[in-house]
Amino acid sequence: MRGPLLFSDIDTPGLASLEGYRRGGGYATLAAVVGKKPADECIEIVKQSGLRGRGGAGFPTGLKWSFVPKNSPRARYIVCNADESEPGTFKDRELMEKNPHLLIEGMVLAGYAIGSNTGYIYLRGEFEYIQRILDRAIDETRAAGLSGANVAGSGFRFDLHTHLGAGAYICGEETALLSSLEGFRGQPRLKPPFPAVEGLYACPTLVNNVETLMNVPHILNHGAAWFRQWGTEKSPGTKILSVSGPVKRPGNYEVPLGMPLSQLIDDLCGGMRDGMKVKAVIPGGSSVPLLPASLLDTGLDFESMNAAGTFLGSGGVIVIDEGTCMVDALWNITRFYEHESCGKCTPCREGTYWMSEVLRRLEHGEGRADDLDLLADLADNILGKSFCALGDAAAMPVQGALLHFRDEFEHHVTHRSCLVNRRRDGLSVVRPCEQAHA
Amino acid sequence: MSATVKVTVDGRTIEVPAGTLITDAAREAEVHVPIFCAHSKLPPLGACRICVVEVGMPKLGPGRLPVTGADGAPEIAWLPKVQTGCTTTVADGMHVRTDSAVAVKARKGVMEFLLVNHPLDCPVCDEGGECQLQDLAFAFGADFSRMADAKRTFVSEDLGPIVKKEANRCIVCMRCVRYCDEMMGDDALTAHQRGVLTEISSFNRQPLECEQCGNCIEVCPVGALTALPYRFKARPWDLRQHITVCPYCPAGCSVRLGVRGMEILRARGTEFRGVNQEYLCVRGRFGYEFVSSPDRLSSPLLRLGGSLAPAGFDEAVTYAAARLRDIAAAHGPQAIAFLGGDKLNLEEQYLFQKLARGVLGTSNVDARTRATARLPGDAILRATGAGRPSLTLDQLSRAGEALVLGDDLQGEAPYVQSLLILGQHQNGLHLTVAHPRRVKLARSKFGGEWLALKPGSELTLVNALTAASLEAGVPAGVPAEVGAALASLASALGSPEAGARETGISADDLRRAAKRLCAADQKAIVFGRAYTEHPQAAALVQAIENLGWASGALTAKRASVMFVGPQHDSQGALDMGLTPDRLPGYVDPADAAARRPFEQQWGAALDLSPGLSAPEILEAAAEGRVKALWIVADEWVKSAPDRARIERALERCELVIVNDLFLTATAKRAHVVFAAASFAEKEGVAVNCERRLQRSARAISPRRGARPDGEIFQAVARGLGATWSYRTPEDVFREIARLTPGYQGLSWAQLLPLGPQWTSPAPLAGPRIAPAIAPAAAEAGDGLWMLSGGTLFLQGSLSYRGAQLPKLAGEARARLHPDQAQRLGIGDGDTVEIAGSGGSVTLAATLDDAVPAGSVFVPYAFRECDLNRLGAPAGAGLRVRVRKTAAALVGA
Repeated sequence: MRGPLLFSDIDTPGLASLEGYRRGGGYATLAAVVGKKPADECIEIVKQSGLRGRGGAGFPTGLKWSFVPKNSPRARYIVCNADESEPGTFKDRELMEKNPHLLIEGMVLAGYAIGSNTGYIYLRGEFEYIQRILDRAIDETRAAGLSGANVAGSGFRFDLHTHLGAGAYICGEETALLSSLEGFRGQPRLKPPFPAVEGLYACPTLVNNVETLMNVPHILNHGAAWFRQWGTEKSPGTKILSVSGPVKRPGNYEVPLGMPLSQLIDDLCGGMRDGMKVKAVIPGGSSVPLLPASLLDTGLDFESMNAAGTFLGSGGVIVIDEGTCMVDALWNITRFYEHESCGKCTPCREGTYWMSEVLRRLEHGEGRADDLDLLADLADNILGKSFCALGDAAAMPVQGALLHFRDEFEHHVTHRSCLVNRRRDGLSVVRPCEQAHA
Repeated sequence: MSATVKVTVDGRTIEVPAGTLITDAAREAEVHVPIFCAHSKLPPLGACRICVVEVGMPKLGPGRLPVTGADGAPEIAWLPKVQTGCTTTVADGMHVRTDSAVAVKARKGVMEFLLVNHPLDCPVCDEGGECQLQDLAFAFGADFSRMADAKRTFVSEDLGPIVKKEANRCIVCMRCVRYCDEMMGDDALTAHQRGVLTEISSFNRQPLECEQCGNCIEVCPVGALTALPYRFKARPWDLRQHITVCPYCPAGCSVRLGVRGMEILRARGTEFRGVNQEYLCVRGRFGYEFVSSPDRLSSPLLRLGGSLAPAGFDEAVTYAAARLRDIAAAHGPQAIAFLGGDKLNLEEQYLFQKLARGVLGTSNVDARTRATARLPGDAILRATGAGRPSLTLDQLSRAGEALVLGDDLQGEAPYVQSLLILGQHQNGLHLTVAHPRRVKLARSKFGGEWLALKPGSELTLVNALTAASLEAGVPAGVPAEVGAALASLASALGSPEAGARETGISADDLRRAAKRLCAADQKAIVFGRAYTEHPQAAALVQAIENLGWASGALTAKRASVMFVGPQHDSQGALDMGLTPDRLPGYVDPADAAARRPFEQQWGAALDLSPGLSAPEILEAAAEGRVKALWIVADEWVKSAPDRARIERALERCELVIVNDLFLTATAKRAHVVFAAASFAEKEGVAVNCERRLQRSARAISPRRGARPDGEIFQAVARGLGATWSYRTPEDVFREIARLTPGYQGLSWAQLLPLGPQWTSPAPLAGPRIAPAIAPAAAEAGDGLWMLSGGTLFLQGSLSYRGAQLPKLAGEARARLHPDQAQRLGIGDGDTVEIAGSGGSVTLAATLDDAVPAGSVFVPYAFRECDLNRLGAPAGAGLRVRVRKTAAALVGA
């Protein structure tokens, strides 16, 4: 058993098939709930459970559900955000690959709760093979009467479709996702109106992450109190963390929320590889500020992470060892945001480009004395001024790195060489980190 | 929610309507919040972020009472993040700061980002000097640059003959893309790539397939999109700007001419001015070019001894006056007819008919030279509400339902079309387009209903819509006598089923269209020359009046029927009595009391009998009953409905006077040609399709040898012994405003910046409800229906005198449905001969499935294609035969 809840049976052979899923009790919740339990009660249970969005923002799921107007004359939609594109995050991929029916059951239940008859699963472009898995599973449920015109004989209709994105990070942002799903350029839209009120095709739309929806059958099956056996008061339940970096056993781990980060790295992942030492950890995907090694005891829950100046985010734990040059790492991250900025708003479009140019100079030993202040100021000019959170996501790592590792940046400027590389191999070169790339 | 809210911007508290955006509220408070991506015609976007401001609400303590600070002022809880003013609506008690350290830093930061990749090529950029980025960088930017890295670059592109794109200058505000979509309905532009590599272009990077309106250039806040025809021609500070009214369609757009010396170098719209603001169509933007054509007449011409020869102005005036006096003496004033004039300014129209009626004593006056049948002078007035307060163009775009009857607005009034598209996109407007062809507005992308009636069944359609409207009973708000008349009309018109057979539109569709029109709170019916120049015009316009009352588009208080006339001042021509049976203000000459002010002012007893209409004048002249013609600003040889007859008429007349800018085919047959000044060379008033009076400024002095038409009329009137002494158009306008019902009380001064719509305190004509039944059923016979109509790139004889419009228009083509073409053995590009009762024309064919089978469509504005050679339409329209001919003969 790799985890207490979603990972409890994830490696069971044959789980991806309807038969295998049913063998473990799958779709029992659906049969017990749809048409039998009032929809409002379902929303209330999810509210009571304290389940929070697992896609990154941690918004209370039940509350989000309750925002969808009940008396709207328009169609209601439920959209599963399976665009999983946050660097360092790879949990949804494994969940959908191995247990597609849990997602489908979650979506049907969510659709039932908010009164939606149509669901879309928006997958990132690279997940073509997962689309095939999901499509097969959807076909199975339709044939078995678990989705489609008459779900489990209740008279409730729920049609499910998958949609493959075209490869843009921004389409993980819910409004950009909806634009893309409608066939438009994947760019975020103004909020308000929020998708719950005016989303897909200007109809009320619920957008939830894969992991969030997968928690739903369990919660509706066992109840809110049962779910709260894990996690903290404000962050109940479990979270799947995708650990990458030079740890001994990288991979997905399901842990109760609130577990200290050090426990995850040292115990579950077996500690660092080859005697390396942790220099910093990016705890929630590349968009969140990093934690220096001194804060490794921080609990992996929404509140503790906020208190430590960062976010739990999507749970992409990126471990950075002491041999990594922060200038190089930051340039890498910033280039990602430059590449993925959708171009809609000025601060993000131009700011990520400019920051990336400055970091390129720093990395190549061509930095200037005022570049660090410039970089900090550029990040400040992006933060809170961009249209959506992508700009913030690009600015925060810059601010975090400059706050905690300013000496490395200064060394690049003043010595035209790398602090980290010199320690490692005693060489001072004009382009300090190139050797690491080679 | 209260109707207004109080908001404080930089310490200034103002009251604005709830729902106002912060940027607009700031403008009210006279605080400058810069914008780039926001645009008055586009929904909020919030992309460029230059309008970031600090926003806060008063802090609330216990009992929701405001917390006050030590100084007694309420404490403000400022939001942690700056907000975009262009997307945030104000709330009551809201405080906005644009001058705080946070707001200033945020704005400077955005400005700096905007300049990161913007080239420093202002000295060679057409936009330099009137560039919003330049201005705002000056106002809000830093005075130094921290950007030391390489800028990203693109290759520039020509997007067709009009638009030049320099993508390096683009700040990706998306105005062009959104304007093209929301306003033009063209979707010609899109963004390629993403992030810093975002580049605006056409979808396939091919020349733009669109209306070539150039509005993308207009809304571009920087020099990323510039106009190829204007490229590198001038610096904006070298240009004098004069706001004139466009001389083409009746929308009456304000055109800002940029003039250097005596040369007009460009035309633009003006944000926040005119009915159109920034909008111009392709004709408005490039149609001014005829003004500086080298072919302009540079002196009057006189036919002495067989050929036309240059003459002095006084000589021409003396000759014309003498000949008019002789003919009037010999044959009576009714042997003289005045034609044309709906391209003149209001004052000139007034003088033209005053000269005819008051000086010469003839009431043979008609501006509607293309008409094929007599239409009463007040028919259109009654159909559009008899001077009741009427629909504005702005209200048109906010209507719930708009019924467009018969006209292809893309050709007839592009701005009206754009407003309907805008309304469809932004205000939930539903379109119903009755047109045999699938015109642009009838395309499915606009979500409307296309009533694809069979050609020739126009009258049946309008009657069927009226009948369907009356099935729900007589609408509220109509005068009592109208209610009674409508009830009997219902029985006279029969059921929509009868109309369904003849029009080819199902009775259900007719009922649905009528129901939508009747049910809409705000509605509009738009019609134009397709009906007023129809052989059944009188019945059609009467039918429209019936439909107006029956659908509630006309009520005792308001009129929501709009007449989109053929020329920019067609409404003025009707108002000024350029019709044979009405004096200015639609005064019936038989009404002694109403007539008296005119007789007193003009010092003449007026001829009480109605004169001849244009088609009647044509016939009378061809038969020799009319001996003298004065044709003003009208290429009558091409616009008269029957070519053979007009040729004969001009041959037989003893005197033909023509006022024109060019030696047109009509002028070549004249005895006296007066060289006239163009719209840009004179000042005056034009009345647009919403009956709005707009003053047009004089941008340049008249071409040497040319005179404004008004001066020509005054000179001839004085030559005839009248004591006219108007020094300026304003003098004339004062007389008009004194005499003309509907215009009374208007003053020249109140016509700027945006003149009023004229209305009459009492309706100028009583309602008339009468069954309008087609006199004869459409003759079947063989052959195809000849469909004609306006086209986008050309309108009238002036439009093909410039460089751009004819180039864009290409050559005239006969458009046939592919099935029809196949039956006739005609392929795309084949040369075809179209033959009618009067003759034939030969041109190339194009296959077009927007044209219904059983018909052929040729626009009428092309220079080389004189459709009046086919003969005059009669009955329900014109029938022609189309056959393939040998290509080599064309133009040989």
